[in-house]
Amino acid sequence: MTDFAIELSGVEKKYRFFSLDHIDLKVPQGQIMGLIGPNGAGKSTTIRILMGLVHQDSGDVRVLGHQMPAEQVAAKWDVGFASEDMRLYDSMTVGWHMSFIQSIFPGWDTAYAQLLLKRFGLRAEQKIKGLSHGQRVKATLLLVLARKPKLLVLDEPTTGLDPVARHEILRELTNVMADEGRSILFSSHNTQDVEQISDQITFIDRGRIIDSMDKELYLDRWRRLRLEVPLGIKLPVLPGIIDVIQDGRLAVATANAFDPDLAMAYESSGAHVHSVENMTLEEIFVANVEHSREEVGA
Amino acid sequence: MTGSVVGHLIMKDWQIHRVPILVTMAAGAVALGIFQRGGETAFVVGSVWFFVALIVIASILPIFAIVNERKKQNLPLVMSLPVSTMQYTTAKLVSTVGMFLAPWLTLMIAALVLIEVRGILPHGTIPITLILLMLPLVGFCFIAGTALVGESEGWGTAATVVCNSSYGLVWYFMTKIPALMDTWKSPVAIWSPTAMAIFGGELAFLPLMLGLTFYLQSRKRDFI
Repeated sequence: MTDFAIELSGVEKKYRFFSLDHIDLKVPQGQIMGLIGPNGAGKSTTIRILMGLVHQDSGDVRVLGHQMPAEQVAAKWDVGFASEDMRLYDSMTVGWHMSFIQSIFPGWDTAYAQLLLKRFGLRAEQKIKGLSHGQRVKATLLLVLARKPKLLVLDEPTTGLDPVARHEILRELTNVMADEGRSILFSSHNTQDVEQISDQITFIDRGRIIDSMDKELYLDRWRRLRLEVPLGIKLPVLPGIIDVIQDGRLAVATANAFDPDLAMAYESSGAHVHSVENMTLEEIFVANVEHSREEVGA
Repeated sequence: MTGSVVGHLIMKDWQIHRVPILVTMAAGAVALGIFQRGGETAFVVGSVWFFVALIVIASILPIFAIVNERKKQNLPLVMSLPVSTMQYTTAKLVSTVGMFLAPWLTLMIAALVLIEVRGILPHGTIPITLILLMLPLVGFCFIAGTALVGESEGWGTAATVVCNSSYGLVWYFMTKIPALMDTWKSPVAIWSPTAMAIFGGELAFLPLMLGLTFYLQSRKRDFI
């Protein structure tokens, strides 16, 4: 058994106006990986490739040890997939969908399905066309979760949900992870959702993975330093500082590999360090994307 | 286990689309009821209604079961299940062809019984009746195959327009074929070489269209 629920190595896919460029991504067993990227970054294409729905031009894709897309049928028995563009059948009821999925998956947990039905405020006899967007998303997740898959692949599942519905869904995903053998790949452009539940974060932009690491390490390594720069003092170029914005005597430096020595180095150069601030995941994400685009453009 | 998933997908389609099948059977039964009353008006009204019922189901079933599944974004749900693209194609073709054959076979048998047993029309009409009845089936396979391969409402609609506008033309040209028209008043069914060739051509089109659909589906690299 592999140590990774998902392994993508050197995956490339070219379209006329977009391409995935050498994607390397590994999701360890028992971990929640948040895949963050702006709209059109390649999140959905990456996920479709790992579900076998889109064939990569080159590169190796393994899901739960199965080669994709060739072994997609074997892999999908243990993968629960839900995407923002997935819809249930309007004319059928929630209960009909539950019976349909139950008839396919022998591991369907009826008691858990009933519990989720209650927890999500759904009724089995409701037709899908009568449900709100939030209820539809919950119904879809119910169908995925009650199968008890080893791996959950969720492509922007919280898009368009109100805060309460988002909270309910994220809480349920956190509950799912009480079973340590299960893994989740969770894509979103909402960094708050990802920050709340993920163990690991991967940033993707314009078809390239621009960074991937443990969430706590991210939050620990990224800092914003507010500086006062006296006239005549030039700030030194320091390793680990990816961006400096200066307006008169005030400057803001962004560090992606913060070390207390950086502050010392600025002080030694004659600048005064006013504060060293933690950054939110959203701020890290934006700074990371902008830095990456500058590097590509340079 | 995968075979059973294909079976479940077929059953799913039958459950979702049972209403149009039942409506077609009911409409066809009413048409045959009118038809068997006798007289020229009943014959014209009954046969027109009968063929319209089959043509309508041949047009709407591929749109409901194939085009709408993609348009209404149900396809990601289906493809999240343990099936491959080809297994999905198999399930979809078996279910839609089966759903069409249910009313088609029922109504065809009912029509033949009316001719053969009740003597509503001369037995000489059997070859032309079967040839005409094959047309909606041929049209259905063309629309279903195009809708599956084309992956868009546009292709499905285009195939439907082509088929529906062709029925009248094909019927018109058939009335100009002496080998078909000269024998319809015969008390026995006469399968002339021309009638056999047309019927054989219609039959041959079915596996050709379905085979082509499978082939083109197997070459796809991006399914959603």
